[in-house]
Amino acid sequence: MSYININNLTKDYGKGRGNFDVNLTIEKGEVFGFAGINGAGKTTLIRQLMGFLKPSSGYATINHLNCWEHSAEIKKLIGYIPGEIAFPDAPTGTEFLRRQAELVGLTDMSYAEALIKKLQLDPTANLKRMSKGMKQKTAIVAAMMHDPNILIFDEPTTGLDPLMRVAFIDIMKDEIKKGKTIFMSSHMWDEMEAVCNRVALIKDGKIVAVQSVKEVKHNKNKVYHICFRSEVDYERFQAESLVFGEKFNDELKLAIHIKDKDVRDLFKIMKNYDVKSFVEFKLSLEENFKKMYD
Amino acid sequence: MSVIEVKCLTKDYGHGRGIFNVSIQVGKGEVYGFLGPNGAGKTTTIRHIMGFQQALQGSTTVLGQDCWKASADIQKDVGYLPGEITLPEGLTGREFIKMMADLRGMKDLSYAKYLIEKFQLEPSGKLKRMSLGMKRKLAIVTAFMHDPQVLVLDEPTSGLDPMMQQVFIDFIKEEKRKGKTILLSSHLFGEIDETCDKISIIKDGHLISTVVAADLKNNENKVYKLEFIEALDYESFIRDISSTQVMEIMHHKEELLQVKVAVNDADINKFIGLVADYNVKFCSEVKFTLEDYFMQFYDRNIEHKKRGS
Repeated sequence: MSYININNLTKDYGKGRGNFDVNLTIEKGEVFGFAGINGAGKTTLIRQLMGFLKPSSGYATINHLNCWEHSAEIKKLIGYIPGEIAFPDAPTGTEFLRRQAELVGLTDMSYAEALIKKLQLDPTANLKRMSKGMKQKTAIVAAMMHDPNILIFDEPTTGLDPLMRVAFIDIMKDEIKKGKTIFMSSHMWDEMEAVCNRVALIKDGKIVAVQSVKEVKHNKNKVYHICFRSEVDYERFQAESLVFGEKFNDELKLAIHIKDKDVRDLFKIMKNYDVKSFVEFKLSLEENFKKMYD
Repeated sequence: MSVIEVKCLTKDYGHGRGIFNVSIQVGKGEVYGFLGPNGAGKTTTIRHIMGFQQALQGSTTVLGQDCWKASADIQKDVGYLPGEITLPEGLTGREFIKMMADLRGMKDLSYAKYLIEKFQLEPSGKLKRMSLGMKRKLAIVTAFMHDPQVLVLDEPTSGLDPMMQQVFIDFIKEEKRKGKTILLSSHLFGEIDETCDKISIIKDGHLISTVVAADLKNNENKVYKLEFIEALDYESFIRDISSTQVMEIMHHKEELLQVKVAVNDADINKFIGLVADYNVKFCSEVKFTLEDYFMQFYDRNIEHKKRGS
């Protein structure tokens, strides 16, 4: 059953800016990522889902509720991290979190405290004087502390250092285990590879490709680079009945394309050669997109 | 001779904060990456190199000049991009560029123009109204418009969007080709991976590892993941690997009939010979990345870390 439904959604700002005819369905429990440069329309799409912006045409629904018409109800289901954080006036992070909890009717702060601990946030600091990383952590806690079913994140790890990024990904993985539905934008490909089921690429306001992360990661068509010790072996190997790709003469290296089901044949052939190194050539999600659309 | 030399530098802020006995040498034409989380001491080290702070112990030199004693020269000559920028708000971008050019006694602004175009800076507006990204671009243009031979960059791409980050990375590569000497601190593994010749990891103020980037990329220790179709094959393969004594089972999942094997390139033929006798469903390589390398030195269990950022 689709949980988030985006149907011919268009928000035209003129001059080719905005979102154009976006169609996506996201299942309950799915983690959906989307990538694109600044100005491609990521935040516009998220803001329409949150009911902050009225679409020019088309519509989006979450749990069968129209995002614009039922924005107040929808917000209760969602934990949201905005791309640019503008906190309301509050003396400290703690006070801000207390007020946010009040707004959503949350009295039990134990999950908030667990998140604070995981992210090593000191919320007692003055909200205005917090570094970018600390503000981001405060926003993460505020978005997740009431344990909402849907998480909508706009570039959630900006400003976090590598250790905190790992901590945040661990938190996301816990949420995924709980069955949360996540819709996130990011430009960190490795982070999307780590958590998402599917990733869409948005360009000039349009969705240009949707990829299953699993398919990219567990591609059954492999490319290996085999490097030989002697020129004789290098030449002899090319007569084998295999599918060859690029040849690197100076390194005595050959690229082989092969399906997983035939991999045993490759090993049987390689057995008769003096191999120097055997490396898998992998395309990342990013390279996959680049290959498709550049 | 090293262009940038940091020798046994210590700045103790008390409570274990600061930097301790840090030594770095950046040779001419080298790109040196400085990797660590917030609060590890990257910026403190860089501030010593720029002569903003006096060394408590140890010394720093750029092109043979003491960074503290010759700070005026160094600040004038080195292309420095700070991690957090503060710009005089009353000026327009253009006025700021002019002011910085006058300070350096520059007359020819053609390279500045080139940079403005490259980074798509819109310099006419007031600094007060500029977005963070635009301010970063302005800082980039003013830092490099005198075509300095030495660049010191503190998290240079923070605040830039992904497309501009790539433009910046390409710019670094271009500067590298021109023979510039570059020291770069960053959080972003991709950016360090793409540009740096040497990488140092800093933790709690101590340099804990320095690695030549090419060694990391051409690592001779490989890890392969194999899945078997039959349980018998899976069990027999594990026994075979163990009996070689040169290869090692790193990990195995019985329910999936999967094993991860560590193999040095020297033993690759032995490995191929072994695998050829089995019916494997797939064989993939588990790559070792700069991030994996970095994480070896940082406890993944963040509870143990002393303080946050």
